[in-house]
Amino acid sequence: MFRIWRVLLLILSLAILSYARSSTGNSLLVVLDPSLSKDNYSIFFKGLEEQGYELTFRAPKDVTPAIIQDGIASFAHVILFTPETKTYAKDIVPQALVDLLSKNTNVIFALGSKQTPLTSLASEFSLILPPPGTPLISHFPERDTPATVVPIPVSFPSPALTSGLSPVWYSGIPFALGNNPLLVPFLNAPSESFAADTTEDSGADAIVDAAERGGEGLWAGKDMSVVTGFQTIDGGRALFVGGIELFSDEFAKKEVTKGVKSGNAQFARDVAAWTFQESLVLRVDGSTHHKVNETQPGDKYTTNDHVVYSTHISKYNPTTCTWEPFSGLTDMQLEFTMLDPHIRTSLPPVQGKPGEYSVTFRIPDRHGVFKFVVDYKRKGWTHLHSSTTVPVVPPRHDEYPRFLSAAWPYYVGAISTSAGFVIFSVLWLAGDDRGSRRRKGAKAE
Amino acid sequence: MAGPKASTAASKPASSAVDPNAIHSLWKAYNDTTPSRLKLIDSFLVFLMLSGIAQFLYCILITNFPFNAFLAGFGSCVGQFVLTASLRTQVNPENRGEFKDVSPERAFADFALGSIVLHFFVFNFLG
Repeated sequence: MFRIWRVLLLILSLAILSYARSSTGNSLLVVLDPSLSKDNYSIFFKGLEEQGYELTFRAPKDVTPAIIQDGIASFAHVILFTPETKTYAKDIVPQALVDLLSKNTNVIFALGSKQTPLTSLASEFSLILPPPGTPLISHFPERDTPATVVPIPVSFPSPALTSGLSPVWYSGIPFALGNNPLLVPFLNAPSESFAADTTEDSGADAIVDAAERGGEGLWAGKDMSVVTGFQTIDGGRALFVGGIELFSDEFAKKEVTKGVKSGNAQFARDVAAWTFQESLVLRVDGSTHHKVNETQPGDKYTTNDHVVYSTHISKYNPTTCTWEPFSGLTDMQLEFTMLDPHIRTSLPPVQGKPGEYSVTFRIPDRHGVFKFVVDYKRKGWTHLHSSTTVPVVPPRHDEYPRFLSAAWPYYVGAISTSAGFVIFSVLWLAGDDRGSRRRKGAKAE
Repeated sequence: MAGPKASTAASKPASSAVDPNAIHSLWKAYNDTTPSRLKLIDSFLVFLMLSGIAQFLYCILITNFPFNAFLAGFGSCVGQFVLTASLRTQVNPENRGEFKDVSPERAFADFALGSIVLHFFVFNFLG
């Protein structure tokens, strides 16, 4: 009896362990347009369910469940599979979606070639969408699919993606990226692809004309993106996909070349993992500072003190749902600022101490209220920010150095004056008789 | 040395020929007529002046840090110089008429007391 219980417990704990959940929660709302069938995306949704997400489905015009209830986001993540939906229920408006992102909720937006509220929202995220009805077209490589169904090789080296992915089938619109540093491109269009409103080769003249005008008005080339992430300053993540077909079972099963399955399933899994804050999620566990040769943090420091600043960084591990020490950051910097950084130095990982980053430096010869600032912002990774305020005071009156070698001439001068005074006094008193006698003699003269 | 001097003396008989003689006679007169006690005071004054000049040059040419040490060292030279100079005035037999009621002993006692107070402040300020 006991043995069975034990085995059951073991299975249960293993099942819990195998669940990979997001670092922010596992409730997931899928807003699915009625024109799309859930079954067409079963591989993607089943994959999410196996990861441990609790999926709730809702049509765009349904009133419940609301995405924000009483000012609190009802779900940790939202997927908007509504590429062609023009009208939504009252609670899904662009402002509400932006509000969701600022509440650290993650959203996947599937865009389409039609003009919808989402396409105008996308431009607020520095995405520049082509005119309505101009999908991505590529005639290369030669294949039996329509020109709008394009295999895109995953050449972008993002750490969020599994390495060695097969090309991904794509059908949808491309978009140009503004120069917003918060954008995280995942998949760019192939070099030979372009966006056009017709797949007929008879309409190619317009494109040739555009190309001859120096590319003006031409949507073409590998600088266009088709899958791009956006990480808000607060850490919420959004993903913009130009075509919902990317997630479909049909594309996941479709072979890129004979015998090679497409990378769609894994790619969709990877970008969803990034969006739902499973991968590339970091946090600062804490930071300490103390003087060299001491262990306790000082409540204030004196100018020119040598101090040690160390911080501990963890990375979320989605396979065990735990935060693990992470020493992989090599380009982190520490700033010691009072309005401006007075010192900016690299903060390297400590050998043999996982997750520990430490640096020793001399506090500048300047007193005031300073801050230790770690501000680490890299594309795709969680933004790390840590700020600790410490006062820096000048030395107390009895803490200044004394008897400096530079002052020896002055010391010698003062001492020699005193010695001279003593010798002078001795000579004066010793010579008293002779002098008085002489003075008397002088008087007599 | 003597040759060029003689030639300048020949060409300009007015001032430059007189100078060496004037300095020499001044030195001779000082040696002969000054009492030895005043000579002692004078040598001390010269020493203080040279010491003060040396410290001042060190301050402006090399470093004035720490400034308090400079002030103490330089101030001790200047202060001692002033005290010694006033002692010289009071004990000079030629000034006997002006300091009738100040005996040389009294003058030295004032000088010694003033100097001790000065050195007390100097050493407090020096470190």
